[in-house]
Amino acid sequence: MSYTMRHALGASRNQSEDQSDVEKVLSGDIAAFEGIVRRWQGPLINLAYRFCRDRARAEDMAQEAFLRAYRGLAKWRRDAAFSTWLFALATNLYCSELRRIPTGMMSLDEIAEPRDFRAMDGGLEEEDRDQAVRRAVDALPQKYREALILFYFQEMDVPAAAQSLGLPAGTVKARLFRGRQLLRSKLPTLLGARSLQEEICPKECT
Amino acid sequence: MPEGMHMNDQDLDHILSRENAGHDIVPSSGFVSSVMDAVHHEAATPPPLPFPWKRALPGLIASLALAMVMIVSVVRFGVHTASQLVPAPSTSRFSAQLFGTLTHVFDASVQMGAGWVLLALLLSLVTVRLSMRLAGVKF
Repeated sequence: MSYTMRHALGASRNQSEDQSDVEKVLSGDIAAFEGIVRRWQGPLINLAYRFCRDRARAEDMAQEAFLRAYRGLAKWRRDAAFSTWLFALATNLYCSELRRIPTGMMSLDEIAEPRDFRAMDGGLEEEDRDQAVRRAVDALPQKYREALILFYFQEMDVPAAAQSLGLPAGTVKARLFRGRQLLRSKLPTLLGARSLQEEICPKECT
Repeated sequence: MPEGMHMNDQDLDHILSRENAGHDIVPSSGFVSSVMDAVHHEAATPPPLPFPWKRALPGLIASLALAMVMIVSVVRFGVHTASQLVPAPSTSRFSAQLFGTLTHVFDASVQMGAGWVLLALLLSLVTVRLSMRLAGVKF
């Protein structure tokens, strides 16, 4: 289940549980933090995984995010949802972590050439295509990648993504636009003509 | 879509949204306990000692005052020297006065033991650099 769906379905329930757990932790009941970890481990690990594409590193980054959340729990102002605060904190940490130690990435020009010979005569298979899209997103400059990951993969809207990145909504929109532009220029070559047509225009179109 | 044709935003949205579906990873079974261990460890660690401002304050004020006195002395010395040099009519007189001033400063420094201070500073620098090199730390 995506961030937004989970957010919409369980928002009010989670919010009251989060608030109650935070109050308990702040009053000295450290074990209450486990509830927060259980509720948010999936979203936080997946968010980290979208950034680094490495499961072990994603869990390490998520653990560090939870630790920072624990340390800064008193700084959460009740005017925003706990999840918004937690995601902003985690996004901030993941971005700086990846700036410190980047993932092993290729440039967009490197990945534009299909390595699989099937691409020459009709496109890549589904798994290859998914990998190609992921690689294309991973190869974007980090500022565009961050915006695209939050918007598409975490399914945040622009204001939520802007809040998580600590940027104005206009800047996030501009980064999304530029990131899409870069992907648009590279993806057709990367995916191969037939595969892309199947992807964009399903069977009923043909 | 033939290669080279333009992909619009809707096409891209469709591809990226599809790419997202079903790619969530499940946290490993020990993740929660690992985080809670770290949290308990964090909670058990005593908070870092705060900087002893109260004890350091007199020393800081004294250092600041000394620095101010030194700056004022240097400025006054500079103004005094400049006022002596300004009316100099010729280059030779200027050179003679400058040499005299420098000699005066040098004599005063020797009397105050500036050589020893300089030697101590050099020795400290060499010691620090040597120890940093032995420890494998680069400047």
